[in-house]
Amino acid sequence: MDREKPELNEERRTFIKKVLKGTIAGSLLLVIPLRADDLETSEQIPEHIPEQIPGIRGSEYDMSRHRFVFIVDITRCIGCGSCCVADKREYNVPDGNYRTWVERYIKDIDENIYVDCPNGGLDGYQKPREDIDRPVRDTFFVPKLCNMCEDPSCVQVCPVGATFRSPDGFVLIDSERCIGCAYCIQACPYSVRFLNPVTHTAEKCSWCYHRVRRGLLPVCVHVCPAKARKFGDLNDKESEVYKILSGPGVITVLKRDMGNSPSLYYKGARREVI
Amino acid sequence: MKSSYNSHVKRIILGLVIFAVVGFIGKEISSPKSFGVYGHYRADAIQEEADRDMRHKTNTPCLPCHTHEAGLHKNGLHKTISCEFCHGPMADHITSGIKTGELPVKKGEEIRVLCLRCHNRAIHARPGDVIKTVVMPDHLRDKKVKETHTCNQCHHVHAPYNYIDQAKQALSIKEAS
Repeated sequence: MDREKPELNEERRTFIKKVLKGTIAGSLLLVIPLRADDLETSEQIPEHIPEQIPGIRGSEYDMSRHRFVFIVDITRCIGCGSCCVADKREYNVPDGNYRTWVERYIKDIDENIYVDCPNGGLDGYQKPREDIDRPVRDTFFVPKLCNMCEDPSCVQVCPVGATFRSPDGFVLIDSERCIGCAYCIQACPYSVRFLNPVTHTAEKCSWCYHRVRRGLLPVCVHVCPAKARKFGDLNDKESEVYKILSGPGVITVLKRDMGNSPSLYYKGARREVI
Repeated sequence: MKSSYNSHVKRIILGLVIFAVVGFIGKEISSPKSFGVYGHYRADAIQEEADRDMRHKTNTPCLPCHTHEAGLHKNGLHKTISCEFCHGPMADHITSGIKTGELPVKKGEEIRVLCLRCHNRAIHARPGDVIKTVVMPDHLRDKKVKETHTCNQCHHVHAPYNYIDQAKQALSIKEAS
């Protein structure tokens, strides 16, 4: 009987230890995620970053009040590929897929067109093309991205309502609904969509909707050193995009005859650009 | 009899009502929440996309810590270049106010490749009024420096004319333009 007593005590001691450890661990678990959550939410509202698109912050976001347009100024693009690099990093785009890319057009003296786009312009254009024998007449870069059509064919063909045009004019993808049938990829006249090899859902440029809603420019517009990409609200008469689109100059959209009415405009694009 | 004459109409109406009720309940169960508020899609998907984490956070949060680079960058010709293009996104460096990783600083040959991404005149598509371009290695020969020189031996990467202007001022050299 005397022998059993210490054993019992031993058990009691370990039991109390376990309970104490459990309580401490439990209370710590309660405290730590709370702190992380608080920081997370404060980071989501980047008040310390100055507003880049006026009229978004401050009041409740009204989806019907804005009409966003994107302008690519071909006469200013230097083909550095900053936009492509920033885009890949912002969305962790898998290798071999591109939400935006920069093409190089070369026109020779006989009006033959040569287009190339090594690695989507991610590595920039380090070397000139050497396979063209005739003298070159004209050469320029053409950045490509989602055209955010007013009448998007990708939305028409989606069988599950996974892609849609939001009331503020953004064509977005609901990856929860997407079944990866790739109809939209075939339907898009601008080939901006791809099937993400990791999630097996369709993906494309969203004009950085998450940044726009926080009052910031799309990441490609922000990093462009030559100001070749411009973004803004056409309903804001003070915006640069309004001034460009209401002023003189060659303004075109890609594949107008497809009838998709894109919101992406090109400034100074030659007629060969498709 | 009158009652049996009516009964098949009643049966049809009852059948239609059951069909409508079952159909309505089935639709309610199978379609996701907030589907059809604005159109044939889930309205919550808009907010979900808007809540996506930002990985690039502009130049503003870089400047308070990197004050030396900030001073050079904001006064130099490279002021339109984003910090995050050369060094990588802020999200890989600071998360929730805590340093979580080192961002790369380009060195040696990497610098030359990075500079020529924009400044290489061999790529004719670059508009001359937007960017100043050079031919390599002719530029090095013109300036009478070794051909092994990297760009950052004369040009400060954050303010390309910083050293050159300083040298000119110190030696009171005037360009023979």
